[in-house]
Amino acid sequence: MLEIVLRRLIVMPFLVLGIVTATFILAQFTKGNPLVSIIGAKALSNPEIVAAAKKRWGLDRSIPERYVIYVKNLAHGDLGTSFRTRQPVLTDLAQRLPATLELVICAMAVGAVTGLLLGVISAQFHDRPADHAARFIALLGSCLPIYWLGLLVLFLFSVQLPWLPGPGRLDLRSELPETMTGFMLVDTLLAGNWNAFIDAARHLILPALVLGWSVTGIVSRMVRASLLDVLKQDFITMARAKGASESRVLVHHALRNALIPALTILGFTFAYLITGSVLVETIFSWPGIGSYAVDAARALDYPAITGVTIIGGLGFLIANLLTDIAYAAADPRMRGAAA
Amino acid sequence: MVDTFPSAFLRLKLSFCCALLAALLVGTLDMSGEAKAADDTIVVARDMDINSLDPARAYCDTCQIYLSAVYQPLLTLAPDNKTIVPSLAEKWEVSPDVTTFTFHLNPAATFSDGSPVTGDDVKWSLKRLKNVKGSASYLMDSLKSIEVKDPHTVVITTKTPNSELLGILSAPYTAIINSKLASANGANAKDDAATSDTADAWFLSNSAGSGAFALDSYKPNDALRLKRNENYWGKKPAAALVVMKQTAGAVTQAQMLGSGTADIAMQVDPDTAKSINDPNIVFETIPSFNFVYLAFSPIAEGSPVPLTRDLREAIALAVDYKGAIDFTVGGDGKFQPAAIPNGFPGTASLPDPMTDVAKAKELMAKAGYADGLTLDLTFAAMNVYGIDLSLLAQKLEQDLAKINVKLVLKPATFNVWVTDIDKPVPFTIGFFAPDYFGSAQYAQYFGMIPDMPWGKRAGAGQAEGLDGKAELEMFNKALAATPAEQEQAYRALAMEMIGDKIIIPILSPNLVLAHRKEIGGVRYSACCNLPLAEIVKN
Repeated sequence: MLEIVLRRLIVMPFLVLGIVTATFILAQFTKGNPLVSIIGAKALSNPEIVAAAKKRWGLDRSIPERYVIYVKNLAHGDLGTSFRTRQPVLTDLAQRLPATLELVICAMAVGAVTGLLLGVISAQFHDRPADHAARFIALLGSCLPIYWLGLLVLFLFSVQLPWLPGPGRLDLRSELPETMTGFMLVDTLLAGNWNAFIDAARHLILPALVLGWSVTGIVSRMVRASLLDVLKQDFITMARAKGASESRVLVHHALRNALIPALTILGFTFAYLITGSVLVETIFSWPGIGSYAVDAARALDYPAITGVTIIGGLGFLIANLLTDIAYAAADPRMRGAAA
Repeated sequence: MVDTFPSAFLRLKLSFCCALLAALLVGTLDMSGEAKAADDTIVVARDMDINSLDPARAYCDTCQIYLSAVYQPLLTLAPDNKTIVPSLAEKWEVSPDVTTFTFHLNPAATFSDGSPVTGDDVKWSLKRLKNVKGSASYLMDSLKSIEVKDPHTVVITTKTPNSELLGILSAPYTAIINSKLASANGANAKDDAATSDTADAWFLSNSAGSGAFALDSYKPNDALRLKRNENYWGKKPAAALVVMKQTAGAVTQAQMLGSGTADIAMQVDPDTAKSINDPNIVFETIPSFNFVYLAFSPIAEGSPVPLTRDLREAIALAVDYKGAIDFTVGGDGKFQPAAIPNGFPGTASLPDPMTDVAKAKELMAKAGYADGLTLDLTFAAMNVYGIDLSLLAQKLEQDLAKINVKLVLKPATFNVWVTDIDKPVPFTIGFFAPDYFGSAQYAQYFGMIPDMPWGKRAGAGQAEGLDGKAELEMFNKALAATPAEQEQAYRALAMEMIGDKIIIPILSPNLVLAHRKEIGGVRYSACCNLPLAEIVKN
């Protein structure tokens, strides 16, 4: 297992450089003009303003020059300054990434737990009403457009039945807790502000459920299919023949083997949601990295686009690594292969 | 008995989840009680477009709101959206040749740190606006000199007569900054300020103004929080805290109003407003100064036919203006005769745009296109001022089909569209909102004057019938006009611009002011968008 981790860690910087290079080149050749977000559309006709802005933001240099400067700065941990927010991209990402991670972790927890339960129910009660009901719920999670679902739950649970708060991470009228980690649940707890913690948790419920439901569909279908497959295998018959209870057969023998493909899916879904939760972030005014990425792409904010891509790429690489580790933990054959 | 499911484990998990959910829901009730208690906080839901919080570099609709809440210019615009009234300057004089402007500062005016606003601050701020070469620097193009006669008297001289300067100095972008404080944090007004001024980042977390509020905190794409300026020298605002929350989408904004999460929503379109029936929400529909237009560039490459004046007029006559208002904003809009907004100088008695398909067909035949032609229509695929430009393009496609003009719709992202129209493209849809109260900005942007944006795109001085001289003369005449002569001078210019048939205004959409019923003092300002200091919670 250690060998797998080391091998991946050694390759990672080269992969990141590849991601940076590809993103840098693609962004430069995208149609449009980054100056629109720097000086505004009306000022584009003023050559003096355009020249001053190009000089200030280094856009008067050639693309290879800009690339070399960017990579040099990157080596020192400087991701540049966003054209739109005028803040260092690293600061922008540090402000947004915890918000997204908090949302995605909760959504993944919702999706993984419910997906697993529904998948198990489906497999256990194969082709019976419980199976159909579980598959229907899972199917809805995969099919319902997140944008529509988000608006619907907001309307139902925030406007019509005012049980849960509207968009945002915290009551806008309350004082913001001091930012220590950027994770609102953690920061409110560290500040010892129980009311704010409850408020932050309540703000998480709807977006996490909406995002998590889409994960539920994916996980439950994967668990059901692989569990059905595993339950037909000889070692399950053997376990039953040896007198193991049905719950022991299910949990200790079948589910453990059936979980391996689900782990792969969970790993990639987690990495995907880091930059792919933009719709939920937009509806719930969640200041995360997904909406930052979309705004950056729209504005041709080169430093921000590259910064987000690096984070997204790293997310995939790390998720991939963690999946491999989880694989090894779940499947003794992998451990043996790695040894 | 066969154990068919790990039921004990499941029951335990379900019990835990139910307990957690109950705790959170109970917490909900407690927290909503707390929220109601904070009744000196106003929450504004808005899709923010902030590019900077530095008064010399900021240039956006949200920037207008922020700057007018935190800073003050020399003058401002009265609620009638016409009259220039005192702000930091308590009185002023204009020389007969409209080139020398003397401002007397209010001696009571102080910045939020308690220091007095002086003539040196005025000179430094306006020079910095010019030299930083930001988006709004063009407002200082006519500046010749600024002389500080004494701490409370400033004389501004312009290169040429400029009757528009009073309007310009009421724009939030001409805000007066605490020069000592800003200078200590990287700002300067030197000639090379475009590169040597490094205060942009400082302004993201600090303010240096004399307005009713001061910056509390700003997190891009999240929230802008303004706290009451306890040292404010004028009437203190009712709200102790204003939170502008980044909220994309009219429906989400309306839902935030409905749930009480927000007090004011700024971009609820007329269709969404009509679909909501909540006695706690007030929707006020008022005319705006924004408009959407069609524009031709006769010198553009890629046009299948020469865009002659007859052809342009035929297309203008074929547009169903009333239908466009009904189709795009459900009737909540106004005709706009010229590329100067209704209510601005020169627009009092302009003729409404006319739809006459028969005459349009005659003109098409006269121009040699009786059998029709195909034309590309480039536009930004976005929603502006509540108008879906893709829908508008489809409506225009139907209208022009009546005179055998087949439109090929070419949607693009805003960024790409903005870049394309400067190439230029033959035929496009554009939109415009004012930077301040005054008609000169429209003559400058839309007039057929060489080196001005649309003058360049349309080929003023090159294209047939667009000599580029007549409107320049009229523009200079309007700038030299006395207040009594201005209406007539700008009207003549507006009529000339209508006659060009280069810019064809389609409609001016109404603005929906949406707020909770307990909120008062919400109004739309031509200079400042939403004056936050006037908002009260009853």
